[in-house]
Amino acid sequence: MDAFKVLEIKKNVYDGNDRRAESLRGSLRRDGVFMLNLMSSPGSGKTTTVMRTIEALRGELRLGVLEADIDSDVDARTVAGSGTRVIQLHSGGMCHLTADMARQGLDGLGTDGLDLVILENIGNLICTAEVDVGASRSAMILSVPEGDDKPLKYPMMFERVDALLINKIDALSLFDFDIEAVKERVTAMNPKARIFPISAKTGEGVAEWADWLRSAVRDWKRA
Amino acid sequence: MHELSVVIEVVKTVEEFARENGVTRIGKLVLQIGELSSMIPKYIEDCFPCAVDGTSMADTKLEIEILPGNGRCRPCGEVFNMVANRGACPACGAKDAEILSGREFMIKEIVAC
Repeated sequence: MDAFKVLEIKKNVYDGNDRRAESLRGSLRRDGVFMLNLMSSPGSGKTTTVMRTIEALRGELRLGVLEADIDSDVDARTVAGSGTRVIQLHSGGMCHLTADMARQGLDGLGTDGLDLVILENIGNLICTAEVDVGASRSAMILSVPEGDDKPLKYPMMFERVDALLINKIDALSLFDFDIEAVKERVTAMNPKARIFPISAKTGEGVAEWADWLRSAVRDWKRA
Repeated sequence: MHELSVVIEVVKTVEEFARENGVTRIGKLVLQIGELSSMIPKYIEDCFPCAVDGTSMADTKLEIEILPGNGRCRPCGEVFNMVANRGACPACGAKDAEILSGREFMIKEIVAC
């Protein structure tokens, strides 16, 4: 019989990624580039919201966008149309981005001269919440057609974000969506989360969200 | 697929550990997965052969230990299994528990031959 020995590792599986995320956060800090990790389910209006955010911050913050999808470049084309520096990442079937992929994306984008990079994560409310990509702050979008019960169903995402955008409020009359119930549920699990009802389509509420983001970037740069 | 990407990460970590510790052949890898983790043990087992294909762990056996998902009831202090009780305290019925364990996903140990 072979001689064998047991070696204890006792390592959290996410340690490797967490380490790389910390190191990425450190290099972004040195370069003075704020990265926002923007998450949501597919079809919540992430790209439209990104476009509105670009418009609202134009002339104040130099902005870049990382578009992550499993395939296609439709989102990157949309954003590029606004004259913003953008790169499309393909996760090749993976359902979330890792810190390594974010770093590759940032290298490809080139962050020199940028104040803010919005990382549009893959449309998914589950593991994107678990995996640290090295962002300075995180935000998520919940859209009205998805329903007000999502904080109950996908608690981890709602527990961890710094800001929650409730998008498509122009469609409120068509759905049984209770904004107050969402606010109550989210505040109970994450008292620090700032909540912004918006319509990326009409622009309603976008100014308040942009104000928050602008202050978040400035406070971070000063810190 | 969620599990595959994570298992590939596990394999990288274990190979690195083995290199650092002068282990050349890994007979077995033991993972610990909490009941409340987003990892499904069955899927981990299914994708393990793909993740180790072409690596130094191609012949390594996989063992998974399940850690219980326990919570403590905030109103009454009872400690109970969150999964078996569907999150509701068996003593007072409240659905307000602090999670004590069960979200882990750990590389516990390897058996080197």
